[in-house]
Amino acid sequence: MADSNPVIDIESLSKTFGTRRGTSHLAIADISLKVGDGEFVSILGPSGCGKSTLLYIVGGFEAPSTGAVLVDGKPVAGPGPDRGPVFQEFALFPWKTVLGNVMYGLLEQGVDRGQATDRARELLAMVHLSAYGNFYPKELSGGMKQRVAIARTLAYRPKILLMDEPFGALDAHTRTRLQNDLLDIWERDRKTVMFVTHSVEEAVFLSDRVAVMTRSPGRIKEIIPIDLPRPRKRAELLVNRRYQDYVVEIERLMELPPEEAQAS
Amino acid sequence: MTWTRRAGELAVGLLPIVLLLGLWQGLVFLKYAPPTLLPGPVTVFSRFFSLLGDPQFLQHGATTSFRLFSGFALAVAVGVGLGILAVGNRVVAAILRPLIRVLAPVPKIALYPAFILTLGFDHSSKIALVFVDAVFPILLATYQGALSVEPKLVWSARAAGVSQTRALFTIVLMAALPSILTGCRIGLVIACIVVFLSEMINSTDGLGYLLVRAARNFQTVDMFVPIISISILGLILNAAFNALRARLLVGYPEDN
Amino acid sequence: MKRIADIPGFPPLMACIGLLVFWDLVARYLAISGLPPAWDALKEVPVILADPEQLLNILSSIRRMVIGFFAALVFAIPVGLLMGRSRAVAAFFNPLLMTIYPVPKAALMPIIMLWLGVGDVSKILVIFLGVSLPVIYHSYQGARAVEQKMLWSAAAMGMGAPARLLRIVLPAALPEIMVGCRTGLVLALITMVTSEMIARQSGVGNILFNSLDLAQYGLVYATILIIGVMGFVLDVLFEKLREAVAGWAQPVHQIAVGSA
Ligand SMILES: Nc1ncnc2c1ncn2[C@@H]1O[C@H](COP(=O)(O)OP(=O)(O)OP(=O)(O)O)[C@@H](O)[C@H]1O
Ligand SMILES: [Mg+2]
Repeated sequence: MADSNPVIDIESLSKTFGTRRGTSHLAIADISLKVGDGEFVSILGPSGCGKSTLLYIVGGFEAPSTGAVLVDGKPVAGPGPDRGPVFQEFALFPWKTVLGNVMYGLLEQGVDRGQATDRARELLAMVHLSAYGNFYPKELSGGMKQRVAIARTLAYRPKILLMDEPFGALDAHTRTRLQNDLLDIWERDRKTVMFVTHSVEEAVFLSDRVAVMTRSPGRIKEIIPIDLPRPRKRAELLVNRRYQDYVVEIERLMELPPEEAQAS
Repeated sequence: MTWTRRAGELAVGLLPIVLLLGLWQGLVFLKYAPPTLLPGPVTVFSRFFSLLGDPQFLQHGATTSFRLFSGFALAVAVGVGLGILAVGNRVVAAILRPLIRVLAPVPKIALYPAFILTLGFDHSSKIALVFVDAVFPILLATYQGALSVEPKLVWSARAAGVSQTRALFTIVLMAALPSILTGCRIGLVIACIVVFLSEMINSTDGLGYLLVRAARNFQTVDMFVPIISISILGLILNAAFNALRARLLVGYPEDN
Repeated sequence: MKRIADIPGFPPLMACIGLLVFWDLVARYLAISGLPPAWDALKEVPVILADPEQLLNILSSIRRMVIGFFAALVFAIPVGLLMGRSRAVAAFFNPLLMTIYPVPKAALMPIIMLWLGVGDVSKILVIFLGVSLPVIYHSYQGARAVEQKMLWSAAAMGMGAPARLLRIVLPAALPEIMVGCRTGLVLALITMVTSEMIARQSGVGNILFNSLDLAQYGLVYATILIIGVMGFVLDVLFEKLREAVAGWAQPVHQIAVGSA
């Protein structure tokens, strides 16, 4: 399905960082991945394997060392409003109110203030934060901040969402709620999503496919299609045999000893 | 901190100032110090307040303020502009960093004769001196503040379609604001000090000149008045600056 | 591969040469009145340094500066540390310090001269005042940041209050104190030059304005160069000292808070 007409086409991508000592460090090696229109793909892998790096390159924030990323057939040359990032650290603008943060992208794109306000309020309602428009980010809890960050990105209607462990810093309860919210939003307008996570359950629950990466230098070890019915309900999935099998299978995959000795 | 505790601390803090003033008045009152050398605080302050109604004195104060604010405004514009630019542009940074390293520890006051020679005795040489003295703390604070801005803030803006340059002068600038304001406050106090000194060294008007003129004529009371004036001006500016800072930084995390 | 720009001292050297060349070209081609070419000023530097009277003048300036600086350290570091460890002491001194912060210390020169004469004492006192403030401020900040737990465990080991201040607070606050000292050192130089410009008795500041009055412009600029080099050299020397004494702490890029 993804191969017919991919929205994101990652072609033998690798990234080398220069270190302080003058040596070079291969972060990701030869990654190829195609993501189809409206597909939800999760990336799993041990810490430091280059998941964020991969996402940043797709976002156009960092340049690849070799290989290329095509979005809608065009090579990525820099960030653009077709790809909306959501970072683990929220990265909200502290000097703007919640509403100001959500409106920011629209105003910068020349949407008039009235329309931008309406759209921002709509999004805040969607993430259950209508009452918090005039709050500053520092006055919100971690989960609320992350919902604002998601709303800020959704506001300018990116075609693709690039989410880097968006729920990683949250407690289990908040995390579950936000996963449900995210799925609701996704069911509604079927964006293409690349979703980095450490949690196998989260990946299986959300995704159409799960890409498992190897230890540094990161390569794609295996891509597992998740064939579970949608819309998914957490309570139902937890007792679903296939769901459990996927989780166990992927967890095993991640436990396997690294194929090669730890590099550099 | 509770209100009473604050009030208590304020009272403790006023103590040394009151004591000092008392000691000063006492010395004069008990005639330990001849009034020609040390006029009492009552004399000095009543002279200060009577001069506040004197248009000539106010004119000198206005001259000093004009030089102070012109030089400071210039320093803010250049310091913030260059500091932000240096973060966005490698070439600017490569040129600026060694220049700062060499010029920051140089006593800028030594350049004053050069400014007098090239810019003349009037406002411009004083404004230039205030500028070079105030610009370095502002430039350094801006540069360091902008360097440590979380790159994901910029990325978030870039992803929304904002250009690199625009992100630099909106997002990076705003994110570095706490640091920039710290630099500006230091620059403001320095500007206060330097404008006064420049007028003492070489001028025919301004508060600094009033001090020198009084010294020449051995009018001790009038020597104290300009010093009190510049100190009060500094305190007012500092308070105004703190108020402005509190307004500008409402949303920012506390610790800064 | 090591880049040329990574060699320590190379970029500042280039900056110096660049500044001089820039100055020389501007003076030669824009013909600004009152700005001689850099070369003319450079030629005068050896003339000043070879004149025994001028040299003595400069050396006695430096001597006063050093005395004022160290006297200020001896006074200001303990005061700052005490302020940092005791709320009462801090509350006592803070408003007073805030009030005298915006007062130009060198501006007190005429009044102090009135009381103490034009000798060394007045000049040293002004330098002492100029240096004290930043050193107090940074020692205060440094001592305030010392972890309370560290002091508790020291107290639990039976260390008395003075010993704690000397053996725990002082070393822990050392990096910040060094920042204050560095600022203070630059300030000492600034205050020295400024007070000499105001007193017009002797010293480098006096050479500057005397040659200005005598229209010896080459000499003016040569003196500026000498003062500039003094500032830079003092700063570099101090940075080396800081690395030796408190090198374990993060190098603090200090915003030079400097004016007399
Ligand atoms: N700017 C950089 N400079 C040098 N090395 C970097 C840089 N960014 C990442 N790396 C290195 O690249 C590798 C991959 O980093 P990355 O942050 O992409 O990992 P990750 O999979 O996202 O890890 P985590 O799960 O902990 O977030 C790491 O070894 C890291 O040290
Ligand atoms: Mg990561």
